[in-house]
Amino acid sequence: MDVHSRDYRARARQIIEETPEVREAVNAATQTFVDNRQKAFADLDGTALSRWAERVKSHALSHLADYLEEAEARLVERGAHVHWAETASDVHQIFECIVREQGVKKAVKAKSMLSEEIGLNPFLESCGVEVFETDLGEYIIQLLGEPPSHIVGPSIHKSLDDTRVIFHERLGTPRDASPERLAEAARDLLRDAFLTADLGISGGNFLVAETGSIALIENEGNIRLSTSVPRIHIALVGIEKVLPKWADLPTFLQVTAKSATGQPVGCFVSMIQGPGGSPGDEPDGPEELHVVLVDNGRSRLLADPEAWEALRCVRCGACLNICPVYRQTGGHAYGYVYSGPIGGILGPGLVGLEETLPLPFASSACGACADVCPVRIPIPDLLHVWRQRAVERGLTSDVERSVLGLLTSTATRPRLFGWAEKAAGLLPAPVLRHLPMLREWSAGREPPRLEGPTFRELWDEGIE
Amino acid sequence: MSDERVSKRARARILGRVREANQEREPVEHPGTLPDALEPPGPFGDAGRSDPVGAFEDRLRAAGGEVVRLADEAAARKWLEEFAREFESVSVGVGVPDTLQPALPKAQPSEAALGVSVAVGASAQTGSLVLSSKEGRRSQLLPPVHLIWVRAGDVHTTLGDALQACREDLPATLALHSGPSKSADIGQILVTGVHGPGRIIAAVLLGPRP
Repeated sequence: MDVHSRDYRARARQIIEETPEVREAVNAATQTFVDNRQKAFADLDGTALSRWAERVKSHALSHLADYLEEAEARLVERGAHVHWAETASDVHQIFECIVREQGVKKAVKAKSMLSEEIGLNPFLESCGVEVFETDLGEYIIQLLGEPPSHIVGPSIHKSLDDTRVIFHERLGTPRDASPERLAEAARDLLRDAFLTADLGISGGNFLVAETGSIALIENEGNIRLSTSVPRIHIALVGIEKVLPKWADLPTFLQVTAKSATGQPVGCFVSMIQGPGGSPGDEPDGPEELHVVLVDNGRSRLLADPEAWEALRCVRCGACLNICPVYRQTGGHAYGYVYSGPIGGILGPGLVGLEETLPLPFASSACGACADVCPVRIPIPDLLHVWRQRAVERGLTSDVERSVLGLLTSTATRPRLFGWAEKAAGLLPAPVLRHLPMLREWSAGREPPRLEGPTFRELWDEGIE
Repeated sequence: MSDERVSKRARARILGRVREANQEREPVEHPGTLPDALEPPGPFGDAGRSDPVGAFEDRLRAAGGEVVRLADEAAARKWLEEFAREFESVSVGVGVPDTLQPALPKAQPSEAALGVSVAVGASAQTGSLVLSSKEGRRSQLLPPVHLIWVRAGDVHTTLGDALQACREDLPATLALHSGPSKSADIGQILVTGVHGPGRIIAAVLLGPRP
């Protein structure tokens, strides 16, 4: 996927001004996720649990090469083909070989953010393969020609009516069809695709080194079907997805589901150890299993002494749901596969800081993301790391640099800060609006009136 | 360059870079097995340990599944006869005992009205049935209704225990089914029966293993 993050500010403004219904839909959906997550964690020691999960992931990452070799060996023993890919073009080449050799014409695909990273669908289409996204949300946005807007709910920015319109145009359902009727239309069309496709494509939530298991969590059953019915299954797995032991898996399945949707675990979980059909002596299942282990920037990020912790991410989306900035626009403003707080630290880490600016700045630094992360990634700290690097490398605009400089020199001199704070309160609104730090922010808003005693004055008096 | 040569070169480079990246890093110890006190969820704690079948039933029902408890094989056969009346055809997983198969015409999984499986285990903690691909996956996934037999003795308190019990003989795919297929992708409105079965019935056999 091409990265368009540089247009973040313009896109965010456009979404907020021109499509206010997106903000409404995203807010409603993320609030539901937030409420459900909170209920799911109400009766357990979330902090201790996340400390445990953090240590398992950090352990796995600090021994990553050994665990990848172990997973590979287990998979090969079970008759799977293991491929390694450094870049998107390596992945493309691997797919092209399989698709050509096997004469693949039709593929059913489960949701995979990694496949978005490497632009898999357009590539397969250029090879003459018809690709069906089978997750209902992914299918809706595939019809619309849009990228996913959220890690877990790719179509959360779309309303019922948006789906009615596109299904009416493309599937011929009535203009006022019920959600059940719409789901049935998609089910019928995709059921035929499942039964006739040569290839099923999936991602992987976890890769267990000890057993070579690829674990996948879902609610619809489309992942189970994509990985069970077609003759060939290809799983795309990022190298950072490793868990050391089979015994680690049950907790990670639960923590991920609880963090994402508040469910105890997804309605369906697949734990795949090898091919099923003729080599595996089982009644059905794919005859060939290909596992593609993908780097695409991950090993470089691992070498980063500060930013590497982003690699613990389990893609639950909890940081997006809680983020007051993400909730204004949904994911499309960010112009990158991963949006929200995690996108602001994965983007510069995987693709590069220059390409993904200003994503580390697309945050109010409120810290809510750190509180909900199930693997304790210090997201606000890492956003700050990337911001500092952007300033050091001269990548920020002169205005941002001078504002940051001014802010730092003022904020570190208490008397000057107090004076500046008082002075700001005395300025009339039109002048306030043109202060460099507020100009952009106030373009779409009424500037606040700074009145009454300042925070520092209240602090000195003592709060009654 | 051929696919294999691409992959071989990539493997060497990736593992090389990963090892180099970790050379400077202090290795982190594995924290060991999750302490019992941290097992999610807290609420059913002691109750779940004394009555895993009850806890399993609560969980699966909360997710939209159905549960029936059957005292012995005779009760199971009687219940099955009644239950099977609303279906026209069935697809049965390999290994489902004759006595637990409904007297319905057999059909391909893609055509059958009902799929019947035997679970290799269950987890009370998550309300999950553990299914093996050794019995065939199509009858677990394609029919709109899925009946799953499970023995009360195979219902474990935690998901960890249920998965550990399968550790020594893992099939090509081990699956957890913890509710009917569902989606809220259309305007955030919950719809059941999207791709997988829209009805899931766990029939718990309480009697001793025959």
